[in-house]
Amino acid sequence: MLVFTRKRDETIIIGNGIEVRVLRIGRDGVRIGVTAPPEVPVHRREVYDLIREENRRAADSAAPVHAARATRCGPTDGG
Amino acid sequence: MSLPHPRVYAAESIDTPFGVFPLDRAAAVEFPSGLPGFEQCGRFVLLAPEELGPFSCLHAVEGPPASFLVVDPREVVPDYQVALSQTDLLRLGCHPGEPMILLSLVGFDEAGAPYANLRAPIAINPARMRGCQVLPHQSPHLLRYPLSIAPR
Repeated sequence: MLVFTRKRDETIIIGNGIEVRVLRIGRDGVRIGVTAPPEVPVHRREVYDLIREENRRAADSAAPVHAARATRCGPTDGG
Repeated sequence: MSLPHPRVYAAESIDTPFGVFPLDRAAAVEFPSGLPGFEQCGRFVLLAPEELGPFSCLHAVEGPPASFLVVDPREVVPDYQVALSQTDLLRLGCHPGEPMILLSLVGFDEAGAPYANLRAPIAINPARMRGCQVLPHQSPHLLRYPLSIAPR
């Protein structure tokens, strides 16, 4: 991991056109501004992680229901 | 959106947890960034057998195995709306106001009760056959909206 020391209003540049700026430094948090090309999604990590876990859970929890249903109906008996 | 009956086998078929379906690769939807947790799944087919209605199955045909039960959130909440960001519109290759297929992933809680993820729906642009999952920064919708309808 690259580690930088930045003061307020200082920035780092990532690749071509992604800029991360320190807007405000508070006691409990740092306010950060991200400028990125419109095709680059930017998310809070915890939001992405939450949706990722929900997606995995949806895939895992629906499969047994599908399987039970397939057993009942059979894939080739015409439903 | 309804597909041929499972009894009609194509040369290439697709084996899902709930049956074998003909696979029409031309009908695959491209997901350039996959889905969170399934980033390598770049292409999905939407299987909508009549007997599964109002649910359908979103099944990965590229990358690791992934199969989801999905439902149109507008079937769950009639006035459902989701705000698409500029990034979403670019990824879908569409303009604001164009018709969009919306799908919510369905999960089951510990008691086996079904719920739909209304917060982060999947949007598909049928004109370009491109899809993505919408992760709004703010949303009034529940991550787990209890469903009164269950798969038969």
